[in-house]
Amino acid sequence: MRIKSIFLSLLLLTALSAGAQKYITKTGYIKFYSASPLEKIEAHNRQVNSVLDLATGGFVFKVLMKSFEFEKALMQEHFNENYVESDKYPTATFVGKVINIKDVNALKDGIYDVNVEGKLTLHGVSQDVKEKGTFEMKQGKFIGKAKFNIAVGDYKITIPGNVGNNISKTIEVTVDITLDKANM
Amino acid sequence: MKTWVKIVVGLVVVGLIAMLLVYKFVYNKQHPDYEKAEAAFTVSARELYQAYKSNKAAASAKYNGKVIAITGNLSKVETVDSLVTAVFVFNQGDFGDEGIRCTMLHKFNDAANKLQPDGEVKVKGYCTGYNETDLILEKCSIINQ
Repeated sequence: MRIKSIFLSLLLLTALSAGAQKYITKTGYIKFYSASPLEKIEAHNRQVNSVLDLATGGFVFKVLMKSFEFEKALMQEHFNENYVESDKYPTATFVGKVINIKDVNALKDGIYDVNVEGKLTLHGVSQDVKEKGTFEMKQGKFIGKAKFNIAVGDYKITIPGNVGNNISKTIEVTVDITLDKANM
Repeated sequence: MKTWVKIVVGLVVVGLIAMLLVYKFVYNKQHPDYEKAEAAFTVSARELYQAYKSNKAAASAKYNGKVIAITGNLSKVETVDSLVTAVFVFNQGDFGDEGIRCTMLHKFNDAANKLQPDGEVKVKGYCTGYNETDLILEKCSIINQ
């Protein structure tokens, strides 16, 4: 009887801690940057949703395309209407995994290198991606950072000839998120 | 002055003015003033959320990219760095609370922080869409308190 109750409470504890292993943010930051001889273009999005499952390494991002802010209103219009067609494809998503999540010790502050793999869907096109980044553990929070390039052609984003020279074919993406333990 | 000189000078002046106008109003045009912008729709927060929840495609086509005024009972106000978000919670899901998240224009940060949870507020902002957990309004202003 006693053994049974000990076993049951252990089981309950495990279940509870497993449930508490999700880390989320709704105010993550993504920037993209394109440099070309004529003009540099930069856009910021501070409304990025992300969730990390510490048990499995499952890692998801959801980004609303209309939340990207440009310095120039005209660029923002072109971006939404002509390039990413945000009325047709309102969100970009990443669904994947932190491959080496076991290397990250959530209880020990420090900076850990992580490898992330998964599918990035942008402009209705999904591509397998594999990127490196870092997780900084700080007072129980994950600060995730990464910087990588994407080729706009891979996502069937076409840039009209007359402005083609103003916008480079690859875009540098910077990710900066602070994931907090989910209260569930 | 010879007539042809006058014509050339005139054309150059007109051309320069045209270039300036294009630069100012097309290339360099200002972002909309979301505080002064007229709301395309005025709805209750709950109705708006339900519209996205029940038919995302239809609601997105109708509301995304529009300035919307919503009225509802405020659930909480969150602050991350300089970003202040007024939140109307209607549901619970994988990300915890789900509902409408209204990020304020900086000049409304203080006013938003003074709002009382559970009080009725009217907020106006630019709708950027529904990300499966929340509906996002940005550049928000508080219409009344």
